[in-house]
Amino acid sequence: MNALQLCLAFSSLLFAVGLAGALARSNAIIVLLGLELMLNAANINFIAFWRFSPSSAPATGVIFVLFSIAVAAAEAAVGMALVIAIYRHQKTIRLPDATDLKG
Amino acid sequence: MNPDYVALFNALRPETALVLGALAVLGLDMAIDRRRPVGERQRYALWVAAIAIAAAFVPAWHGPRGQVFGSVLVLDHLAVATRLGVLVLTMLTLGVIRAAPVRHPAEYIAVMLFAATGLMLMAAAQQLLLAFLALELASLSLYVITGIGSARPDAAEAALKYFLFGGMAAAFLLFGFSLIYGVTGSIELPVIAAQISVQGTNPILLVALVMVLVAFGFKVAAAPFHLWAPDVYQGAPAPSAALIASASKLAGFALFTRLLWPGFHAASGSAATFAGGPGWLPAVAVVCAASLLLGNFAALAQVNVRRLLAYSAIAHAGAMLLGVMAAGRSGPGPLFYYASTYGLATVGAFGVVTTVAISSRCEKISDLAGLYRRSPFLAATMTVYILSLAGIPPLAGFFGKLMVFSAALQLGGVAGPAGWLALLAIALSAVALYYYLIVVKQVLVADPPANSGPVAAPAATKLALGAAAALIILLGLFPGVILGLFQ
Repeated sequence: MNALQLCLAFSSLLFAVGLAGALARSNAIIVLLGLELMLNAANINFIAFWRFSPSSAPATGVIFVLFSIAVAAAEAAVGMALVIAIYRHQKTIRLPDATDLKG
Repeated sequence: MNPDYVALFNALRPETALVLGALAVLGLDMAIDRRRPVGERQRYALWVAAIAIAAAFVPAWHGPRGQVFGSVLVLDHLAVATRLGVLVLTMLTLGVIRAAPVRHPAEYIAVMLFAATGLMLMAAAQQLLLAFLALELASLSLYVITGIGSARPDAAEAALKYFLFGGMAAAFLLFGFSLIYGVTGSIELPVIAAQISVQGTNPILLVALVMVLVAFGFKVAAAPFHLWAPDVYQGAPAPSAALIASASKLAGFALFTRLLWPGFHAASGSAATFAGGPGWLPAVAVVCAASLLLGNFAALAQVNVRRLLAYSAIAHAGAMLLGVMAAGRSGPGPLFYYASTYGLATVGAFGVVTTVAISSRCEKISDLAGLYRRSPFLAATMTVYILSLAGIPPLAGFFGKLMVFSAALQLGGVAGPAGWLALLAIALSAVALYYYLIVVKQVLVADPPANSGPVAAPAATKLALGAAAALIILLGLFPGVILGLFQ
């Protein structure tokens, strides 16, 4: 395996860990952590492809990552706000208890 | 690339107007006394927002066309039409807000304008970075307006569910984009298209396409990525649900079509037979069939009006995916016509449900009983919306279905998979007629409950509902008005 393949394997593993956490955990904050791991896996991809590719466009990958880190931060902020909002109503942040809406 | 900031600013005048409008809404709310009644603050905010949207409309109509700022933005027929459609749908949503007192009116309306800005950028984006940022601007704003508009626990739960599914979709989208960047070495769609047609498909590209498809399946509420939709439509404040169901869907389909056809057309596979190498068409076809079946059959079992609208939205997403598959051959015109007229009918239906909820509970379909006696105007407009969703001529919904299905049938006749899907969609339209007619029956035939009085709608809401119904009828009689935008 060369370095690019190692990076891609690592990022795929990170994405899978994040997805498993987001799907399987019942605590809303752990699910948020899972989402952040998935976004960071994509960021590692961008950096790896930028570092190891002979591409002409110089800094595309790095710039993309800078923007996506900012987006991830905004997303975490909105997510935490929503977790607090639901805690105010239900006094719990366990997702299996959020079952008012169904049908 | 030689950056031309003047041209960029010129092309982005509509978005600039919306952002300035949002800031003006917030500033005005700070300037006037915040202890004034919520209704009064809401009226000021609505006026400023309406002026901002009207100001955005002019440059969106007359603005420059073609490639902007290198090839970051493209203002072609689809982009211009979608921007105008988003503006019209957002304006109608403002009318719905008048009937649904929201908790923090200025913040709510400002964030709604930010969402509209993101949706308009999605319509014009031709570069993966801008597409991702526009999609996230729109999505994050929509999560917020799902949560802050109402103090009910339902709204918080709906917002959290929408956010968690949406965050996962965003991560899939970003991972897919990173793989596309790795395979093609570029984030500009024209370069990507050229690279793919040279390289052909490879497994990494297919993984990336599937991940992008997952993200867009979420954005447009297509099965099996639809799980958030019924809960959000039910729990969110009505104007948020109306915007999510209409403008967000329209812009999502515009961006999706732009990514798939100009971007990845070389990796599409064959539309007629699905033979000749793997591509994204079979995957879109599977999602399309799943949405049609699940949406229509699950809608049969619903008693809540908003959940009914949600499952109907899933079914319509299936039909629109058929339009996406056909867009490579017959252009995005039929798809845009279908999505925009569907948006008008959905905003209107949410508006009616909200207006009825002013004076009495309106959750179940039976809560609409006898609406023709309580408010003839609301009953008439609701009938127009529901019949348009069902696809009854001469309303716009019928011609949307007709054009999308005939475009799909032209792909390979009735023998190919696209033809089978079109036949399936036509057969399921008959199923859909059943649950739509149940609503119409309650509105027009059933007797009103004993203790119910007349429903009074605010003037702005009446104006918006009347405009939506009139547009549905007129666009049904003159479909050339929209299709002419694509000539």
